[in-house]
Amino acid sequence: MEIKKQIEELVLNAKNEILTIKTMNELNDLKAKYLGKTSPFAQLMSQMKTLSNEEKPLFGQAVNEGKNQIASLFDGFRLELEQKAIEEKLKNEAVDVTLPGVNFSKGSKHLLSKTIEEIEDLFIGMGYSVKEGPEIESDLYNFEMLNLPKGHPARDMQDTFYITEETLLRTHTSPVQVRTMLEAGGKKPIKIICPGKVYRRDDDDLTHSHQFTQIEALVVDEDVTIADLKGTLLVLAQKMFGEERKIRLRPSYFPFTEPSVEVDVSCGQCGGKGCSMCKQTGWIEILGAGMVNNAVLEAAGYDSTKYQGFALGMGIERIAILKHGIDDIRAFYINDLRFNRQFK
Amino acid sequence: MLFSLKWLKEMVSIPCTREELVAKFNLMSSEVEDHYQLVTATNLTVGYVKTCIMHPQSDHLHICEVDVAKETLQIVCGAPNVAAGQKVIVALEGAVLPGNFKIKKSTIRGVESNGMICSLDELGIEHKYHQEDGIHVLPESSVIGTNPLEVLHFDDEVIELSLTPNRGDLLSMMGIAYDVSAMLDTALTLKDIFVKEVKESNPVKVSTQTPSCKSYYARVIRDVEIKESPEWLKARLIASGIRPINNVVDITNYVMLETGQPLHAFDFDKLKSNTIVVRNAIDNETIVTLDGKTRTLVADDIVITDGHTPVALAGVMGGESTQIDQSTKAILLESAIFDGLTIRKTSKRLDLRSESSSRFERGLDPNRTLLACNRAAALFEQLANGKVLANVNSFENQNLIPIVVDLSLSKLIKVTGYQYSEKLVSNVLKRLHFEFKLQDGIFKISVPTRRIDIKTYQDIIEEIVRIAGYELIPTTLPKSAIPGSLTEVQKQKRLIRETLSTLGLNETITYSLTSESEAKSFDADEKESIQLLYPIVETRGTMRHSQIPALLEVLNYNLSRKAENVHLFEIGKGYSNQGETEFVSGLMTGVFDDSKWQGITRPVDFFVVKGVIETLLNKLNVDKVQFLPPKLPHPKLHPGISAEIIIEDISVGLVGKLHPSLSSEKGFPDTYVFEVDLKAILSASKPNDKMKEVSKFPSVSRDLAIVIDRSISAKQVIETLKKAGKKTLIDIKIFDVYQGEKVALDKKSIALSLTFQDNSKTLSTEEIDLLVSKIVKAIATELNGELRS
Ligand SMILES: [Zn+2]
Repeated sequence: MEIKKQIEELVLNAKNEILTIKTMNELNDLKAKYLGKTSPFAQLMSQMKTLSNEEKPLFGQAVNEGKNQIASLFDGFRLELEQKAIEEKLKNEAVDVTLPGVNFSKGSKHLLSKTIEEIEDLFIGMGYSVKEGPEIESDLYNFEMLNLPKGHPARDMQDTFYITEETLLRTHTSPVQVRTMLEAGGKKPIKIICPGKVYRRDDDDLTHSHQFTQIEALVVDEDVTIADLKGTLLVLAQKMFGEERKIRLRPSYFPFTEPSVEVDVSCGQCGGKGCSMCKQTGWIEILGAGMVNNAVLEAAGYDSTKYQGFALGMGIERIAILKHGIDDIRAFYINDLRFNRQFK
Repeated sequence: MLFSLKWLKEMVSIPCTREELVAKFNLMSSEVEDHYQLVTATNLTVGYVKTCIMHPQSDHLHICEVDVAKETLQIVCGAPNVAAGQKVIVALEGAVLPGNFKIKKSTIRGVESNGMICSLDELGIEHKYHQEDGIHVLPESSVIGTNPLEVLHFDDEVIELSLTPNRGDLLSMMGIAYDVSAMLDTALTLKDIFVKEVKESNPVKVSTQTPSCKSYYARVIRDVEIKESPEWLKARLIASGIRPINNVVDITNYVMLETGQPLHAFDFDKLKSNTIVVRNAIDNETIVTLDGKTRTLVADDIVITDGHTPVALAGVMGGESTQIDQSTKAILLESAIFDGLTIRKTSKRLDLRSESSSRFERGLDPNRTLLACNRAAALFEQLANGKVLANVNSFENQNLIPIVVDLSLSKLIKVTGYQYSEKLVSNVLKRLHFEFKLQDGIFKISVPTRRIDIKTYQDIIEEIVRIAGYELIPTTLPKSAIPGSLTEVQKQKRLIRETLSTLGLNETITYSLTSESEAKSFDADEKESIQLLYPIVETRGTMRHSQIPALLEVLNYNLSRKAENVHLFEIGKGYSNQGETEFVSGLMTGVFDDSKWQGITRPVDFFVVKGVIETLLNKLNVDKVQFLPPKLPHPKLHPGISAEIIIEDISVGLVGKLHPSLSSEKGFPDTYVFEVDLKAILSASKPNDKMKEVSKFPSVSRDLAIVIDRSISAKQVIETLKKAGKKTLIDIKIFDVYQGEKVALDKKSIALSLTFQDNSKTLSTEEIDLLVSKIVKAIATELNGELRS
């Protein structure tokens, strides 16, 4: 069969030619060359009418088989080319994933706000509400109702900015406690914390600031004990500084509490062995506290034979300084963005 | 309060080291400020200067032959007062003096020197305590080769207590001894006092005309010899931080340190009468005090008079006219108690705080007034050869009987939360030397008069807890079951902080106090400032009205440190005669979102800041917010690039570009600021409680470009469109604003994208066409605008 040979030859040629193809256009041209109107197959088909009726089917079949063979060759190759084109395209689209992401924000909360929120959340979890009050206060609420009558020697402990004889910038957030107790009318139990700005007549230096931030806590109820105070302080110290920390209480004096204590937390740097950070004592003073003085309860309308309570007060800057190793209290108020942005 | 450990050890048994005692003080009594060896110098010996000649190569150095018992040393000494025949302090080779000064063999201008003859300064005794120039000359009785620190009684340790205002009792050695006895549970070894009196009777009559003098005891001592005090007494004063002067003054100071009772000695012969009358001063009366200054008095001050003229300012300072001097022969010794508050006022007013005034301020033990008088008299007899006249003349208006405070064991347990036993409490009270009776579980405690700070059962509880130890107390939490939470306002304040910081702003906290001019520098209208009576510095003397000046200061600080994109906010207060107003304030400059490598940088402009505020208000569920040109331009803002923020017809704040003249004056780039009243925006916040139906039907958008007068605001356009489009027009977006060549000079073109949607049906093209034509008509009739062709 000469025709078969001829077709085999055509298929072989097509195969060889396909291998040289690079682009889809070349593929289409080649396809036209082999399968188009002027292709060798078309010429073969035109010879068909010269054949006998017996030969015709065999011839036709052979030609079609050849055509199909070549067509499927082209189809296969087309897929291959398309795949290659996609790969090429993806390759070209690749980016340097190490380039920076879009710079949405370098915003930050102030470290004092963050620390206040942290302490607030801790106390809220223990059932406290948050109370705020004015910063310009009366001498009555800031001192007198807190067992600090005019001329009391302990007033020297808090040098005060006076505005008039009777009004001042509050030296602590304790007047908020007084206001809350008065609101309660001497009847209801109280469990509050009072955050806010306070002012003392101190020169600004590494460790002093004429403006600083306090959080005080006050609990008044029928059976609040020093043990409750100690437990609360332990929770505070461990949540703020680490579960391994210990606390100790030392006698102190505040006119509004009796007994009064200073609270130390074990030094985190040396673990209590003594180092430069804790001045070799193993302990770091963090806050003052005590049982509410009956004179304060009575002044606010509470029956001190029935109610008792504890109060504690801490400087937020001091807490943050200890927690984050800050060496100058003024850093909180300068607002150097390189400092502020470190604390999100 | 500084005290000598050696002295204390005479009064109470201390079987532990200084460090151990300090630890006990900290945990049980009073905080220790400092503690140290009085003199740390080592390897000192008493030497005898056998010969002393001038150094041949120097006009001020001496070459001394010094006998130090074991050998004779050649020492070169530069002190002008060194002389043969003196007993001196020699620092031997190998000695280390304060300041880590090591003594070595040396050659000074060709002469070998084997040690150093010391001054008191070189031993670390500060000059204020001795005022000696040159080397210290020891008493002749000193034994060569012994330790000079023992001779001088400087072999001592010092503890400094940082006293709280309540513990006036610890301003005396006796008080400290009582507390140490309780702390260590050891015995007190206080000595009795014997006064040897002569027959002659005390002629002085004392009386008071003021209730501010509570008691007054006077003794007269004749034939006193004014001289230096013995070494032991001087050393104890130095250890206690007091400069020795002469025996009479030193004794009054010593007894004050010992008992806590301030004393005063008058030159008896200089008093014009044998009468002492205590009274209030007369307004504008004057007295010349010991320091030579004339003091003008007020009626509140207390004076000691000779019946007519003030001779001392009671409790604060003696008078010059009756001052002790080298020729004093007889003294009148005063031991008295004056009202603490009065003394405090006087000493504060005259700026004359002293050891004595601080003791009166804290209050004294009424039972030590006579005791101190007698103790001093005994020392005058011993150390000044004085003759103590018979009788103490006095008046006494104080309660000398201890008060009794009841404390039940159950109350103690209820307050502390620890199960104290009767036995433990009894033991603690005994250690404190508090007498008590125990009846039916109630301790009836006689509070010694030395503890005037103890008045209530709470005070007794403190004593028991501190001496028994705070470590006994367990740790529990309060039992109450009130749930804790933030108020809505507090939550929203946190949301503001969260939102603004997420939008890229940095929170600041700045000082409320500023200068008078800065305080009001951002005021739009007149407000009166709140000012301090006595500021430390004028630049922090006035409460700020606004936070913006402080934000500008922060900007300035950061710009000068090369910051470029400064975005700040602060939540805080402004203060004026109108009260305290809480603000959210902000400042933005530079580039907002900086992704330069992608070719995108968004410089901060008015609309960035407006967007920040809008985002914030949206988060807070505040709607119906309008930004309108200010009725009166704010003097510190660009008049054309600033707006009042209005919520429901009320102005709640402002936003705008800093006035270019202010920016250029300060050297700032374009800067935008805002300040809104926190309370006003939070009260406009209306949280969504109920879900709004989301339409199931598709929405359709149409774009429209209109040409209108430039003077017509976007707000007017939107309002007109909304009115015409009714409920179906659910969204209007402005996507282009154009003014320029392609429109008329006084016109602008605005391109809008309108979104239509109905909750009940799919809108047909005809319906939308109808709406759009209505809108176009409204633009034509109400805004005199037309579609852009
Ligand atoms: Zn440490």
